Amino acid sequence: MIGLPFAGNALVHAGMVGLGIGAALLFYAYEKRRRALTDPRLWPIAGFAVAFGAIGSRVLTWDISRQVSLADWWGNGDRSILAGLVGAWFGVHLGKRLTGYKESTGDLLSPAVALAMVIGRVGCLLTELPGTPTGMAWGIVLTPAQAALTGAPAGVPLHPSFAYEIVFHLAAFALMWRFRDRLPHSGDLFICFVGAYAVFRFFVEFVRGNEVLWLGMSRPQLFLLAVLPLLAWRVRRVFSSPLRREMEGTAA
Amino acid sequence: MSGDTPGVPNIPPPPWGNEQDNEPRGGSLGIGAVVGAVVLYAVYVLGTMAQGPYAWSVSFLAVPAPFIPIILYLAVAIAFAVRRRTSLWGAGLLIGLGAFILLGGGLCISFLVQVRA
Repeated sequence: MIGLPFAGNALVHAGMVGLGIGAALLFYAYEKRRRALTDPRLWPIAGFAVAFGAIGSRVLTWDISRQVSLADWWGNGDRSILAGLVGAWFGVHLGKRLTGYKESTGDLLSPAVALAMVIGRVGCLLTELPGTPTGMAWGIVLTPAQAALTGAPAGVPLHPSFAYEIVFHLAAFALMWRFRDRLPHSGDLFICFVGAYAVFRFFVEFVRGNEVLWLGMSRPQLFLLAVLPLLAWRVRRVFSSPLRREMEGTAA
Repeated sequence: MSGDTPGVPNIPPPPWGNEQDNEPRGGSLGIGAVVGAVVLYAVYVLGTMAQGPYAWSVSFLAVPAPFIPIILYLAVAIAFAVRRRTSLWGAGLLIGLGAFILLGGGLCISFLVQVRA
């Protein structure tokens, strides 16, 4: 059985998030160089992504129904990586609009995001409520003190849901590394990554242990349910493009 | 009289070139990020430790006042980021803001807990 060595330790969590951001920026710099992208607007756009991702992770989870002020929520409320991704997406668009940059930046950013998530989620794995009870041998068992900190049952194996997410992002990073220059259009890599993560996250939420809000689903699941059709449509376009071109070529 | 050609409209150059280039641009990304994050930490840690009528600790995070430094900082960072000459400084300041917000929840609170203990 595996324990939770740093339950509730904000310093460890923040340290891993910081390492994740640092690694992502280093990878972004490397990938920018590899693609010979020297446009000076790309760094401000990355800055917009980081800043608005951070703001989004705090502000976009604000639950007005709990009668909590935004200031209180900012200090003590929930933080969400999904909200952070939405904030980062908005930040990139704002940055591109303000600097006049027209090209797609998603392919440059998405492997960096996956890398940041691999490292950042290690911080979650070491400090947060792991997941729902499981009978699997790899379940995390909490001591009574750790259970009290995380709000989980003590002495019961719990799904290491953050470990599942780490594995997903490692696999996503490896796949993006392999196929980064092979997809037909600029931006396709980003759409595939976000689409795959949305589907994965929807299902992993069933073992995450987040508060169930409606129809047996958590808040992230309800959000994903709303955006998944749009993502499915965008992913379908990615994979139908080469087929369409082939068909047009055959018809000609 | 200026030296402009008569009849030719005096169009200012765009803030950014349309094509990719590798001309030197202003500032330092790393220094901007570190300075930005340190300034924000200093403002918030000192603000929360302050005593008397200016103390945030009296109503810590209960009023919009704690957002004012972040909003002002964000405005300055964006203004720097969208100007070619200061774009790297601006990018660094934005990254510093992101780092502060993402790490602040942990590091700042841990620091305050230690100070107050």
